[in-house]
Amino acid sequence: MRNVALITGAGRGLGSVLATFLSGQDYDIVITSRTESELRDVTGSIRMMGANVTAISGDINDPSHRTRLLHETNLLGGVSLLVNNASDLGETPRPELARASLDRFRLTLETNLVSPLALIQEALPQLQHTHGLIVNITSDAGQAGYQRWGVYGSSKAALELASKTLAAELKPLGIAVVVVDPGDMRTRMHQEAFPDENISDRPLPEVTLPFWAWLINQDPPALSGMRYQAQGTLWEIPA
Amino acid sequence: MKREELSFERPTDLFASQPPEMRGQSRDDVRLMVTWPEGNNSHHQFMDLPTLLKPGDLLVVNESATLLASLPATSRLGSIRLNLSTRFSDELWIAEPRWGPSRPGPLPLREEDILQIGDSTVKLLKSYPGIPRLWLTHFNASTSALMSMYGEPIHYSYAPVYPLDAYQTLFSRFPGSAEMPSAARPITPRVHNMLLAHGIGITGVILHTGVSSLEIEDETVEHQVLYPEPFHVSAATANAVNAARARGGRVIAVGTTVVRALESAWTGNMIRPCAGETSLYVHPGTGVHAVDGLLTGLHDPVTSHLAMLSALIGIGQVKEAYQEAIKHRYLWHEFGDSHLILKQRAENN
Repeated sequence: MRNVALITGAGRGLGSVLATFLSGQDYDIVITSRTESELRDVTGSIRMMGANVTAISGDINDPSHRTRLLHETNLLGGVSLLVNNASDLGETPRPELARASLDRFRLTLETNLVSPLALIQEALPQLQHTHGLIVNITSDAGQAGYQRWGVYGSSKAALELASKTLAAELKPLGIAVVVVDPGDMRTRMHQEAFPDENISDRPLPEVTLPFWAWLINQDPPALSGMRYQAQGTLWEIPA
Repeated sequence: MKREELSFERPTDLFASQPPEMRGQSRDDVRLMVTWPEGNNSHHQFMDLPTLLKPGDLLVVNESATLLASLPATSRLGSIRLNLSTRFSDELWIAEPRWGPSRPGPLPLREEDILQIGDSTVKLLKSYPGIPRLWLTHFNASTSALMSMYGEPIHYSYAPVYPLDAYQTLFSRFPGSAEMPSAARPITPRVHNMLLAHGIGITGVILHTGVSSLEIEDETVEHQVLYPEPFHVSAATANAVNAARARGGRVIAVGTTVVRALESAWTGNMIRPCAGETSLYVHPGTGVHAVDGLLTGLHDPVTSHLAMLSALIGIGQVKEAYQEAIKHRYLWHEFGDSHLILKQRAENN
């Protein structure tokens, strides 16, 4: 059975690096992003490597878009690795919570929490069939309480708790869930978060490849419920 | 700590190019320097180890066995060697392309370059983040099969290649190391028996070593990147280590790999059972908490191993000990002499 990965937010940054890597590891790839031109570039480079990739641009908050993505993974035999990577930073410059736009906050929660869950819910039959792994991308902002990171940070904190809960609830179905904090990287999102800083000292998203190389070769149930730092010094398999 | 602080001069002939057993001696027929907590050094034969330790002390050895990890490869640059380092799957490895045993890289290779090994191919995916000499590589065939057909033990310019047995220790049980975890090499059955007879415990961890200690390239020692290595500290071993500490015994790591495994499993006041992948870099900034001593070999200048030794006893004492070793003509590298380093135990430890 082929491995099938669905990666959101794959037009650039971490998502595109991960999609390209997985395509070289015997994965059929379904990728999505809102920006069609970026998606086309990623697709082109994956095809050049001779891998099978399906790209569908669209908004992950759109239910019909989610359904289309999962229709594609179903045609390939069912998603075995679902990476919820697409994330919304919220307003920029990042506001203090006391002054944050509530409508904008709702949109961030929709993108970072509700839509990933919606995608998981709809993918369950496939994930059950493949004994798949769900990876939800998080951030240290989800744990820290940094000033002006409240909108994005609380959406990620909620995603982490949802992931932990799902890990427990989906265990009987043979579906595993982990959260991964990729750490600071030189990506457009990171630049948008620090608009006035020179971020060239941050590593490129390729810095996380050793972690992904390790993760995809583990037995998913053994890891379910874990939180990993891709740039951390210890990737623990719980006893 | 600055890079040049880990530098020292050493005569070029102080290398063991041959295992003692190939010279008709016993494996335990090497010398042993002890650096005591007070800072003084003393000189012994390795056979004296049991009498230099105390009943109740615990030696922790690495049970990883060495692989035939060095493969001959052809590339667009001609014949090269590909040394496997860290395994993610049978087909996916961190590996080091080299010109040969005595000529390291980095080679002028590019992403998507294909190497040929026998009838099989290896694709270079990405150079390792922060360590340009290493690559993430993907094989179109099983590396276990390739190693058994074409592999030889990884070796460097200072020694020819020997049969695989020369690269295993009494405790090598779980194949997975690119290079021999060599510190336990002089522990022969008779030394082992004497240790037990002296009331010294022995327990094991697993850490599969990658290619050896990288020369530190960053000007600031603490900034050097290490790559991940698989390790395992079992519940039985964690219990044995915690019990030794509780009864006042010293925990002596046999090899720098054991220090890394135990420090990775350290909770702040004890060892917990732990498994996974560690790229923990032990240096003076991190300190050493889980062990009271280290039995090891003699290490090259400007390596991460020396940073670990400095974390144990300070760079000043390391340098003094190494001056002593040079003065007494100790032999470096995996077939060479041994060094037992005992640190002062912190009051609250």
